[in-house]
Amino acid sequence: MTGIEGPFWRVIAVFRVASLVYAAVLLLRAGGYAHPATGWLVIGFMALWTAAMIFAYSYREFRGWPLLVADMLVTLGCLLATPLVQGAYQPGSLPITGTWMGGAVLAWGVYGGRRVGAVAALIVSLADLWLHDLRGPGVQFETLPINGTVLLFLAGVLVGHVARLARQAETRLQRAIEIEAAGRERDRIARDIHDSVLQVLALVQRRGQEIGGEAAELGRLAGEQEAALRELVRLRPEPPSAGDADLRTLLQVYGSASVTVSVPATPLTLPAAAAGEMAAAVGAALDNVARHCGPHAPAWVFAESDGGVITVTVRDEGPGIPEGRLEEAAATGRLGVAQSIKGRIADLGGTVTVLSAQGEGTEIEMSVPAPRAAD
Amino acid sequence: MRVMVVDDHPMWRDGVARDLAEAGYEVVAAVGEGGQALRVAVAVRPELVVLDLRLPDLSGVEVARRLAACEPQPRVLVLSASGEQEDVLEAVKAGASGYLLKSASKAEFLDAVRRTAEGDAVFTPGLAGLVLGEYRRLAAQQTPADGPRLTERETEVLRLVAKGLSYRHIAERLVLSHRTVQNHVQNTLNKLQLHNRVELVRYAIERGLDES
Repeated sequence: MTGIEGPFWRVIAVFRVASLVYAAVLLLRAGGYAHPATGWLVIGFMALWTAAMIFAYSYREFRGWPLLVADMLVTLGCLLATPLVQGAYQPGSLPITGTWMGGAVLAWGVYGGRRVGAVAALIVSLADLWLHDLRGPGVQFETLPINGTVLLFLAGVLVGHVARLARQAETRLQRAIEIEAAGRERDRIARDIHDSVLQVLALVQRRGQEIGGEAAELGRLAGEQEAALRELVRLRPEPPSAGDADLRTLLQVYGSASVTVSVPATPLTLPAAAAGEMAAAVGAALDNVARHCGPHAPAWVFAESDGGVITVTVRDEGPGIPEGRLEEAAATGRLGVAQSIKGRIADLGGTVTVLSAQGEGTEIEMSVPAPRAAD
Repeated sequence: MRVMVVDDHPMWRDGVARDLAEAGYEVVAAVGEGGQALRVAVAVRPELVVLDLRLPDLSGVEVARRLAACEPQPRVLVLSASGEQEDVLEAVKAGASGYLLKSASKAEFLDAVRRTAEGDAVFTPGLAGLVLGEYRRLAAQQTPADGPRLTERETEVLRLVAKGLSYRHIAERLVLSHRTVQNHVQNTLNKLQLHNRVELVRYAIERGLDES
């Protein structure tokens, strides 16, 4: 027996043994009913079956529909043997199996969840009610023994439900443990890389800049690799908090020797999809800077949160956009990058402001409403 | 100017020490561990400490905090890798007066050292973003009565610094003097560090730690 299911099967085993004893006591008290020999035969068979089921259900590989169906058929068989033992119908008496017939219902519930548990309860109840109908005064609502039926349904559905919840909890726990282990391993790798590779790359970058010429270009490349590698070892799988993402994590990927990213020390939480759109808009703005001002033109990304609004500003020191250019482009149907950014941000219920004058660079300010983060 | 370099990577540490020596600073110590740095600092009394945030024993934040309690208090310039925002903010609140990315060029580095030595805050765009974020976090808390606040002008200046504008550009845009911009920036940092000290004292009194 392994995992969270084990205790459930052990509890069912206890239930079966206790019910068996109860059934034997009932038989004894009634003086063996009309046919004691048949009665003890049935009880003996139930004891054997109980032992077999306790053994079988304790192994994961035996648990399955063949076993469940066999369990149900034997249970029904014992239940339907009641008239052979008890003879004439006595109102209010339990069948020969007593509560033992609940064992199969519980097993179905634990194995398949609350619906399967309900089906099992339905099968056993129908057999039980049919017995009453066969032997008793016919179908009359007032005399139908619905107590047992209700209890069977409650047991099957509840146990099935709880078993499923337990399995889900176990899966989640397993996943959390895996994430934690992966995080620890990542931390270890991050430390190693930090202590060796990153330091050397940073040094190459600095020395390269000092030497100048081709070495400066090599240094710049080393710097970009350093930033990329640092992000790689730093990014951690965030615990999934209902599909939210930290915008900072997405923005810091853009940081390089020419792009400076400034963020607060606390998370900028957005729904994951919105954060992705916002980061994509920032990426488009940075692509635009590279296209218009050169691939190594300096640019700044600044993210802030104020009063339920998250604002990201992308700024460059390029030639700027001449006045009227944007309107002109839109009028002639050539929608520029700014327009596509506006589209993305507008879809998120946000606004975009473009601040630019010829010779003074460009600032693109994107604001989106943020769900209030719990401080 | 007596300078101490604290960095756990020998190659980096030596490079920084050489750059400082070439620029005319007196490098009185270059150590690789936080505990060692604190012991040595008592003996050599540095006026300026160049501090890597990531150390093998103590955290750089802890070192910055304890250096702030030294007499005379050395100025601290934090060198850090990108992506260590929380630590940088904590170090600055604890008393560090500047923060520079390790990938900065030699010229940027020496400029930052010079400004730190002169007692100015070294406000990179990254630090401006952190400080602004911290003020907003404090303002959003439930007890705003005693928290430090930014004036509108200070907020304006910090946002421009975070967007990468130089003090000169900010001065032009807001029609202020360069010195006024510098003062605004310095003020935001001073208020935050003062608040941090008040919080620490309050915490100590609440816990009854002030008796020793």
